[in-house]
Amino acid sequence: MAEVTLSNVRKTYPGGVAAVKDFNLHIADHEFVVLVGPSGCGKSTTLRMVAGLEDISGGTIAIGDRIVNGLQPKDRDIAMVFQNYALYQHMSVYDNLAFGLRNRRVKESEIDAAVRGAAKILSIEPLLDRRPRQLSGGQQQRVALGRCIVRNPKVFLFDEPLSNLDAQLRAQMRLELKELRQRVPTTSVFVTHDQVEAMTLGDRIVVMKDGLVQQVGSPLKLFRQPINRFVASFIGSPAMNFIEMALAAEADKFRLAADGVAIELPQARFAGLGPHVGRLVTLGVRPQHLRLGRARNGEQVAFSGNLMVSEQLGDEQLLAVRIGCGDIRVSGVDPELALAAGAKVDLAVAIDSLHVFDGSSGAAIR
Amino acid sequence: MTATETMPAVAGRNRFFDALAPGGRRALFVLGIIAVCLLFAFPVLWLVLTALRPGYAVYYVHRGTDFTLDNFHEVLSQEIVLRALWNSFAISTLATVLSLGVTVTSGYMLSRFRGPIPSVWFSAIYVFRCVPYVSWVLPLYFVTRALGIFDTYWGLLLPHVAVHICFFSWIMKGFFDGIDPSMEYAAMIDGCSRWGAFLRVALPAAIPGLTALAILCWLYTWNEFLFALILTAQNTPILTVVMAQFVHELGMEWHLMSATAVLSLGPALIVTVFGQKYVIRGLKI
Repeated sequence: MAEVTLSNVRKTYPGGVAAVKDFNLHIADHEFVVLVGPSGCGKSTTLRMVAGLEDISGGTIAIGDRIVNGLQPKDRDIAMVFQNYALYQHMSVYDNLAFGLRNRRVKESEIDAAVRGAAKILSIEPLLDRRPRQLSGGQQQRVALGRCIVRNPKVFLFDEPLSNLDAQLRAQMRLELKELRQRVPTTSVFVTHDQVEAMTLGDRIVVMKDGLVQQVGSPLKLFRQPINRFVASFIGSPAMNFIEMALAAEADKFRLAADGVAIELPQARFAGLGPHVGRLVTLGVRPQHLRLGRARNGEQVAFSGNLMVSEQLGDEQLLAVRIGCGDIRVSGVDPELALAAGAKVDLAVAIDSLHVFDGSSGAAIR
Repeated sequence: MTATETMPAVAGRNRFFDALAPGGRRALFVLGIIAVCLLFAFPVLWLVLTALRPGYAVYYVHRGTDFTLDNFHEVLSQEIVLRALWNSFAISTLATVLSLGVTVTSGYMLSRFRGPIPSVWFSAIYVFRCVPYVSWVLPLYFVTRALGIFDTYWGLLLPHVAVHICFFSWIMKGFFDGIDPSMEYAAMIDGCSRWGAFLRVALPAAIPGLTALAILCWLYTWNEFLFALILTAQNTPILTVVMAQFVHELGMEWHLMSATAVLSLGPALIVTVFGQKYVIRGLKI
């Protein structure tokens, strides 16, 4: 069990491509941290640097009290699950699990106990004699997890382990991972591009883009208080709606206007907007926060537009509504409600759940 | 060519094939296969027939019924043929073992590593493959003479190993490209060094490809003629060269040449039959 500390970690590839720029993070003992971001944001590179599979161009990585910069992967006392499971195809499941322990010259009797223990935790006991290619994707994933827990390492590293599974199996494996965590609480770093995985698994989430950390925080904090437009758009499904608006000040209110849309916000609640008067800002509204109907004065603001498309999901409907300056998405609509395409729709959203971002930098304005 | 241009031709061919009754289709298919097999088997059949005919009867193999095993008896009683059989076998086997040792690591390097050394190595192999094979023979002749290894095992072995390394490193790279590197990363995290991950994880995974390559290597050297002709003389007779020497100033001893050729088919046939499975599996990677 150990803490992991990354200080000013950089990775520049030959040719000058900076994959990771100045990464700082302290991961507490037993904490489960998820690195999330779009392809090429540097999340996998960061994980591989912790694993020792990539050299570090600058900064330090410490596992426990030990700086591991120059250490071989085998000397870092870590375990890793790969996207394609990376099971040793020419070995049985048993030998796959035992491989790491045999390399450490553990006694065969102890290995047997450890392998059977791990197999029991993951319910793969009947599979021990099989070869990896005789297993389904979910079973292979369990074996890969087993290979990690059997060694009892200081840190688990996960590199998009659920990406190769179909949607149903992925949801199931997510639950199994959470359950496994309760049984085997080990410091973990999990990389994914799927924000749902990030939200459901992480104690803390690190959102990355272009090699830079955008925001670090609990899932709820990231959802409720995104630090910039990128984080706001990345976290949450369906994604947040953004409307570019011009900001003006009127008496005790701020007035935000765009083509066909105008809303007023009380200055007292949005003091941060003051310096931005006369400039463009981006209004962010989560689809989940929009409700059909007219706005209650003071507490809510209103939009109105025409329904373009509705998508029936059974337990809810998703709507795309065209307001003057673009389409906005609405979720959580009563599935029984019959709406005709083109019909006029009134939408309301609580003032407290609005987000405003700087029009040029994208930083959140509070 | 666009997709629309190619469509009518494909459709036309299918129509013809579909118009046949299922039995007719099958018959056509079987006939086609037999024709192809005959085409390839014919020279071998002719060779075997010639080897079984007495010397006076080789020019009308299709007539007459006198067959004999004397040709085999005669060539096997010649010491040079026996030595050539042994030499060819030894050099093929040694060349396979030595070249695979290098090919495997060089193919692995080309597949897994980036940087100046792999690039230079890759370019060197590429250049070698661009130059016509025959143009290496004369320089090799001078080099082997200068090194004092002309007409020895080494004098033939080293050029063969060099050729194998250049030709087969590419193929080996292809095999390793087909093996997921994350398996090696997992091994490195599981306690192996980089070298250990190669030996214990990548190499076992490449065994089918490696076996295929070993067979190809062996057959290549076993059948090779040009290097053997130029780089060896009396001291190191090689089967392919000895075979050719049945053509001499007194005439051509086709029956003896054929008998030697049939003898040389034996080991190659055994290797191919046993290795076929691996060659096919290896080529599928």
